Amino acid sequence: MVENVIELQGVEKTFRDFWLRPTVKAVAGLDLTVARGEVFGLLGPNGSGKSTTIKMILGLLSPSAGSVRLFGLSPRSVAARQRLGYLPELSYLHPFLTAKETLKYYAGLCNLDRRTAKERTSQLLAMVGLEDVANRAVGGFSKGMARRVALAASLIGKPELLVLDEPTSGLDPVSTNEVKTLVKTLAAGGMTILMTSHLLGDAEDVCSRIMIVNHGKSVAEGKIGEIGSSLNDFFLAKVGEGRDFEVAPFLK
Amino acid sequence: MRQFFSIARATALEMASEPLALLLTLSAMALAVLAPIMHYHQFGEASRMARDAGLSALLVFGIAYAVFCTVKSVRREIDSGTLEMALAHPVSRAGFFLAKLTGAALAYLVFAVTVTAVSVTTVNGAEIGGRIAAKVGDVATVFGPSRVCAISAIVVPTVLGAVLNRFARFRFTLTATVLALAISLVGMIPYIDGSLVWRFLPVAAVLTLPAFVFISASAAFAVKWRENAATSAAGVLFLVSVPLLGNYYLSDILSKGGSLPLHHLGISFAATIPMVAAFVMLGVHLFEGRDVDRT
Repeated sequence: MVENVIELQGVEKTFRDFWLRPTVKAVAGLDLTVARGEVFGLLGPNGSGKSTTIKMILGLLSPSAGSVRLFGLSPRSVAARQRLGYLPELSYLHPFLTAKETLKYYAGLCNLDRRTAKERTSQLLAMVGLEDVANRAVGGFSKGMARRVALAASLIGKPELLVLDEPTSGLDPVSTNEVKTLVKTLAAGGMTILMTSHLLGDAEDVCSRIMIVNHGKSVAEGKIGEIGSSLNDFFLAKVGEGRDFEVAPFLK
Repeated sequence: MRQFFSIARATALEMASEPLALLLTLSAMALAVLAPIMHYHQFGEASRMARDAGLSALLVFGIAYAVFCTVKSVRREIDSGTLEMALAHPVSRAGFFLAKLTGAALAYLVFAVTVTAVSVTTVNGAEIGGRIAAKVGDVATVFGPSRVCAISAIVVPTVLGAVLNRFARFRFTLTATVLALAISLVGMIPYIDGSLVWRFLPVAAVLTLPAFVFISASAAFAVKWRENAATSAAGVLFLVSVPLLGNYYLSDILSKGGSLPLHHLGISFAATIPMVAAFVMLGVHLFEGRDVDRT
């Protein structure tokens, strides 16, 4: 029997203001399962609820309704997050720490002993090509370099599940290709990967299964090979209707 | 434990790297060192003025340091998204909050030790200067060797920090903070044998206690509210607690060779613990309940 790493059932998330009035319903009854070893792509237009869904899976946001299970446990449990790695959409790093200190900080959060932390820090810095700037504060890094540090940080605990929110965002084509190769290599090694992307070509290249969400709901789900047309056409057919810009009146 | 240490260390480093923290530390040191100099007529009380200025700086700037730097540190963690990264790792929210507080307390202790050491040096210098002044005139109190050492504790770290930043890429604020601490402690070494140090330290220790209350309160407020609102709430707490703060200000005990009875220290400590505990519990409760996104 295939073990489900992630299980969402009827999940809803409504954000509220200071007076607890509902402001926006970001996720509206989402069911989702990701099996061990899958590379699952969560796709959707801006504001469709992808990042909110991911944050509920990570235990950062509490669902307003429904249930979220990570490795069969509550995502708030430390045991579930012991097996998790996360690369956020923007590379959130402490600007005053150097690249090496950043990785050591996250190694500490993963409870790695000093020797293992040092070893993995060196390996990961070499992997993302930042050995030469290891002792520079990350506050002065370019967006692409910061992204590489964040990617290395997400892998320092050798996670079983890697959650990547827009992993190629801000990267040049060469780096994008490197990230895609890395994802494929990690998946071949048995790692489960959940990723979101606006770049459908990226998802098509690396994902084994996808879900398209719009307005917080699933509008399509399936294996890449079973979609029929290209992912781009499929995506536009599902979420692009009625979203054309009415340019003509403006140009008159 | 490793997680706790990592978070506390990163927080302490972050706070010590905060320009505002260095500014508050140097301002407190400047007040302690310069207050007796700025008065033309000292009526032979330079030592008392130095003592009062140093202890006042420790209390007032210490509370400002606790409030501003703790609120900034907690809010930056939430607003910049580093909290999302951290809590996606196997760390409990309560553990994270407590480690953050410990880091803030460690950074504050660097401030407190620096200002206390400079004050001890200045007070001793003023006493020695006073004795010389009795023979040769007031000028000696200004140029006493200890005063030069105390002023160096302000000037040298900033200049050396800038030089090391320019030529060796050292982090300026952190380097200047560490140098200020080191020079202040070195300046105090000649006086360790003197009785004043051992009479002064317990009084200074009592004055650090309110800062720990403000660190825990500010952290709890920052979990709930944005930076300005949290700082304002801590400011209101400061205003309403001003009458209580007098209980921690026991500088007169040092007059005429007096020293603080140890049970005073115990009572102050015991009175502070429930306040710190209450704010820590409030902070943990708010932290456990909040959604972690950049709001």
